[in-house]
Amino acid sequence: MRGSSLFYSVFLILIFVVACSTPDADSRTITITPDRASFDPVAAALDRRCGTLDCHGSRYRNLRMWGQDGMRLGLGDIPGGAQTTTAEIDSMYSAITQLEPEIMSEVVADHGQNPERLTLIRKARGTEKHAGGAILIPGDVRDRCLLSWLEGKTDGPACSQALLLP
Amino acid sequence: MVKHFLFAAFVATALSCSLDPTHDEAQSDLGDEAPGVSPGPDHRPGQPCLICHDGTTAPQWSVAGTVTGVLGSTAPLHGATVSLTDANLSTFTATSNEVGNFWIESGRWQPTYPVKVAITYGSATATMSTIIGRDGSCAGCHASTASRISPGPVYVAATAAQLSSAGGSP
Repeated sequence: MRGSSLFYSVFLILIFVVACSTPDADSRTITITPDRASFDPVAAALDRRCGTLDCHGSRYRNLRMWGQDGMRLGLGDIPGGAQTTTAEIDSMYSAITQLEPEIMSEVVADHGQNPERLTLIRKARGTEKHAGGAILIPGDVRDRCLLSWLEGKTDGPACSQALLLP
Repeated sequence: MVKHFLFAAFVATALSCSLDPTHDEAQSDLGDEAPGVSPGPDHRPGQPCLICHDGTTAPQWSVAGTVTGVLGSTAPLHGATVSLTDANLSTFTATSNEVGNFWIESGRWQPTYPVKVAITYGSATATMSTIIGRDGSCAGCHASTASRISPGPVYVAATAAQLSSAGGSP
């Protein structure tokens, strides 16, 4: 009787030890991010339409953008003043790429296929509830500007034309 | 009798509850009326009008704000024409009153955002360099002082000399 209790105790301990696992301290999730070097024209288009002070150029939004048309990063800069700085574009790039890093990575790896996996695109297109409404119409210049960046071949002329839209 | 009491208690509880504490806090942050000023066309210049004028506690407005004359000053400008154009190119104009306030009732014009704005006073015109994305309260962005999160008050002229030479009048 005593022997079987010992057996079961050792058995249970072994089960727990085998079942438990500790995280691998060296493991990393490798993500692929869209190109930073070709993000500047995309940032300009986003700043103009999405980054105003009453939209994503506000500290009260989960997705925040910085730039000339909205919230500024430098203490001496004011909205509508000096041109968007490199630091502001870097911050906007981080905000957008780190919103859903794993999904962003998958979309970029798939060369922009099925971009509506990203909340960013669903909200911008209005397919998911968005206080600002549908900003992108599939195929229009704003849409092409953003999606071409995710595809890895930023459409600069589309981004430039997006600045002219109301 | 008990049913009536319970129903009355339910209704009283429902009416006393607030479903939007953030909105309540925003209203509370506006503070009391200025001494000697009653609620009306001249009250609360420079404050975000639509926090209260949302159709629940005050008449619903679509766009409203306060116009000042010169960059860096909070002195109001009476008689400025505020011209708004929405995404469908629908336009509307309003005129600032003696404390610089202007407002548009929602029943008269409900814009489709984004909206562009220009303000005219005599020969002086100031065009807003950015769009309004969704907030009809000018002071939601235009605080009393400029900072990295606000361009400061809405103004027409860069200098007092420009304003006086513009030839505008209330």
